[in-house]
Amino acid sequence: MTLLPLLLAAGLSEGDRELAERLQRREPEALAELYDRYGRLAYALIYRIVRDTGAAEDLVQETFLRVWNRAQGFDAGKGSLGPWLLAVARNRAIDYLRSTSGRLRNALELEETEHPSHFLDLEKQILNSDMVRRVKGAFARLSENQRAVIELAYFEGLSQTEMSERMGQPLGTVKTWVRTALQILRDELGAAVSA
Amino acid sequence: MSCDELRDGYELYALGVLEDPERSELREHLGRGCEVCVAGVKRAREAMAVLAETVPPVAPPPRLRRRILASVGVERSRWWVTPMWVGISLSCLVAAFYYAGREHSLGIQMARVQTQSRQLLEEAARLNEALALLNQPETKQVTFGEGAPKPPRGRVFVNPRQGVLLLASNLPPAPPGKIYEMWIIPKGGNPVPAGLFQSDAEGAAMHLRRGPVDVAATGAVAVTLEAEGGAPQPTSTPLIVAAL
Repeated sequence: MTLLPLLLAAGLSEGDRELAERLQRREPEALAELYDRYGRLAYALIYRIVRDTGAAEDLVQETFLRVWNRAQGFDAGKGSLGPWLLAVARNRAIDYLRSTSGRLRNALELEETEHPSHFLDLEKQILNSDMVRRVKGAFARLSENQRAVIELAYFEGLSQTEMSERMGQPLGTVKTWVRTALQILRDELGAAVSA
Repeated sequence: MSCDELRDGYELYALGVLEDPERSELREHLGRGCEVCVAGVKRAREAMAVLAETVPPVAPPPRLRRRILASVGVERSRWWVTPMWVGISLSCLVAAFYYAGREHSLGIQMARVQTQSRQLLEEAARLNEALALLNQPETKQVTFGEGAPKPPRGRVFVNPRQGVLLLASNLPPAPPGKIYEMWIIPKGGNPVPAGLFQSDAEGAAMHLRRGPVDVAATGAVAVTLEAEGGAPQPTSTPLIVAAL
């Protein structure tokens, strides 16, 4: 269904390492390769969040420039380039969404979540097709409300208090939905990692 | 709070949406290297990375790749290309192809012609988009830099449905490691990032920030020089300020 599983099959982690080293050497061709590898997924993710093609283009550009500019702080030997870039892409889009909707912006909070040091030693095959298939399967098993709260957190950057207001539901109810949904996703991901 | 009580917050923390007091407590655990929470947040980051894969595939426009590479100087943007130039250039390329045929293979020449014609057509599409904004009757126009001999001069066009278009001259190319960032400044609010751009060797620049704009609530459009990745808020004195 999505493109990345094809690209991120076994062996890509090693390719990411070499690519990260070239980005650190400021080789412009490395940026082109980075875009060819992750550009489509970054665009699809950002477009899913902002729902505007023009804004999505601007934000994808900001994402790649940000990664290009901060590659020096990335540990090429231990870092996971794909998850880092996707976190930057999501955060750019969430920050845009917050700014255009007049919501209180907490850019520092987002900045903190995308620091390159947070993407060390992640499971190397985290984005492989089996993992993605399992999580998609788990996602499909969530109830409507459980799926809604995960999407509100991930694609709109809402806190549980904001979700409660948006959905018109008590905070305790929202927290229960979040807890149950995350447990289902965790169980599936844990099973996939240990399989 | 115990690690067990913080467990439900790992994913929300990884997404930057965990609230206090859990957020502060978890930070404290992570700060002192709590093995349970460090491992939990790491797994949460993995899970959140996989969630990106649940989005439906959408292909970006081909021009986006070139635009990104141009912003780091790989390929210089040429926004001034018009459909007429597309035709002229294609003719020249075809002629060049004909006369150079003895020296190069047919395949290489064809690939080059196709690549260059695609680039020219993309530029034409971008220009057409800007012209469409200019032609709208509700588009508001302001000038900046008038009367000053050296600083950047030009116009800003604001359309409530289509976005903000900046046309500038006397804007030298941003130095290595830097890029221009446009800002939309709400009345009484903080500047909102409106995209990154570069000017050409002649100091000309065109930048379009697409999407709806609340014209009545906008006080000004500005441009600053920022580090290549851009900034969430301006970090230098604006080079361009166009008050609405």
